[in-house]
Amino acid sequence: MSTLNLPLIGFQNSFITTVIAEIRESFRAKWFFLYTLIFGGAIVMLLALGITESQVLGFTGLSRLLITYIQLCVAILPIFILITTVRTVVGDRESNVLEYILSLPISLGAYYWGKLTARFIIVFIPVLLALSGAVVWGAVKNLSIPWSIVGYYSLMLASLAWAFLGTGMFISTLVRKQEWALGLAFLVWLTLLLFIDVILIGVLLQNQIMEEVIIGIALLNPLQVFRTGAILLFDPELSLLGPASYVILDNMGYTGFLFYSILYPLGLGWAFSWLGYKIFQTGDLV
Amino acid sequence: MVYKKYMIKLSKINKTFAQHQVLDDLELELKIGDRIALIGQNGAGKTTLIRTLLGQYVAEGQLSMFGLNPRQQRVEVLQKIGFVPQHSPPIQMSVGELVDFSASLSLNPMKEEVHALAGKLEFDIEAQAGKPFFKLSGGMKQKLLIALALSKRPEFLIMDEPAANLDPAGRKAFFDELSLLPQKTTMLLSSHRVDELLPFINRIIEMDCGRIVHDKQFAGEIKAGKSLACKIQITAEDEAISKIFDSWKFTNGSNPGLYSGKLAEVDLMRFFNEIAQFSNLIKEIKMEAE
Repeated sequence: MSTLNLPLIGFQNSFITTVIAEIRESFRAKWFFLYTLIFGGAIVMLLALGITESQVLGFTGLSRLLITYIQLCVAILPIFILITTVRTVVGDRESNVLEYILSLPISLGAYYWGKLTARFIIVFIPVLLALSGAVVWGAVKNLSIPWSIVGYYSLMLASLAWAFLGTGMFISTLVRKQEWALGLAFLVWLTLLLFIDVILIGVLLQNQIMEEVIIGIALLNPLQVFRTGAILLFDPELSLLGPASYVILDNMGYTGFLFYSILYPLGLGWAFSWLGYKIFQTGDLV
Repeated sequence: MVYKKYMIKLSKINKTFAQHQVLDDLELELKIGDRIALIGQNGAGKTTLIRTLLGQYVAEGQLSMFGLNPRQQRVEVLQKIGFVPQHSPPIQMSVGELVDFSASLSLNPMKEEVHALAGKLEFDIEAQAGKPFFKLSGGMKQKLLIALALSKRPEFLIMDEPAANLDPAGRKAFFDELSLLPQKTTMLLSSHRVDELLPFINRIIEMDCGRIVHDKQFAGEIKAGKSLACKIQITAEDEAISKIFDSWKFTNGSNPGLYSGKLAEVDLMRFFNEIAQFSNLIKEIKMEAE
């Protein structure tokens, strides 16, 4: 083995060790049980309520279930990820766990990216299991299973989760107090939530800004991008969105927007997590 | 690895928190085999110095650990360091997981040694393996962290109040283990009870306001119960310091400003603490074991 490979092997070993440790810790954490209960329970509840047999705007069966699930994910997934992730670094710092863990020969990259990767696995698994459960239930009930929609939808959820994990880690390295981290997480979430509809519609109504600009701002919001992308899966004309659909589809097209709705949140997550890493790497660690 | 002269060298180290200077132009050189008691009042800068040595703080100045930079080559540096913090952190991992985690990061195979060392400190890892670390008692946490630090066979051991939470039997076992460490192991032990460290140290460093105000190297190991012949040269006569010398039965000989006396080694720290406030008057301190 050449000596050039040693640091990389050291990194891989530390990275895997951190991922395993973080996953084990998360499995024991109360937030994880609550999180799994909510996302798994939501599907069970929707199935129990017979939502697959109802019909709204022409959607029925599993498509109807997935549309409702989207609304739940938009509302709950980002804030859940944010409030559990923003405490990752700052929480360990405040409790002196970081002082001890970082006195061990572990590279900062292995620690940071290991934590982030483990969080992604932990956050995404319950959602994926819930979706798989819905598919299995659909198969048992002989419902038609929209495989491409389930596939795209899973990718979009993964991308959305990554966007908020990256944002959460960025906030976690940026502030020195958990209270600040939580406050900032809520502020980010509320701002993004408001920019989905409320503020934008208000601005549109007052006709102060060009429609294209407002839609452009909306498409910088990962929540709105996820929501629009998810709607596009079921409603290729985006008729639910009204006139905004013309701007979106004329500029990006159906396939273009589907790619955008997966790649943009993913890129945003990478950008924030990289910024967070740079702050972590270059500042005081404890 | 052979270091030119000093294993660790800090030059003009400055660290500021919110405009408060915590380390002030700090200069420090440690050689292989230095066994240091780091003393000083709360806020003197001891923990900041330790965290700087561990590469956890970004500080101005030059810092070389084993010829490496602890920020840029942290893994290589930390492979050689064993650390026990002042307050055991509330780590969520179970005892077994923490042992596995530490062992998987160490280049030296250490798992069997951790079990053996913890056993000597009267902590049974096997019996507690599934218990979360944060649910252990303060003493048990400390014993495990000490076992983890020592089992790495570190070149440099940093311990911040290592025996603070230990019961008498645990303290005895801990000090027995310290005495068994190879002579080349460099130690930095921060403690408020220096008297019990005296058998293991050959250097005392006192910090105040982010600076090293006293740095005394002893020729050999200090043995508890022995005394030191002490000569202190001051730059100007002062009534307050003269009273302190009188209370310690020091005499002022023919040489102006030169005080001589004997100090029991267990009283050394108490004596240093009393004269520390007059450090600007003290020109030279000479000590010899009798």
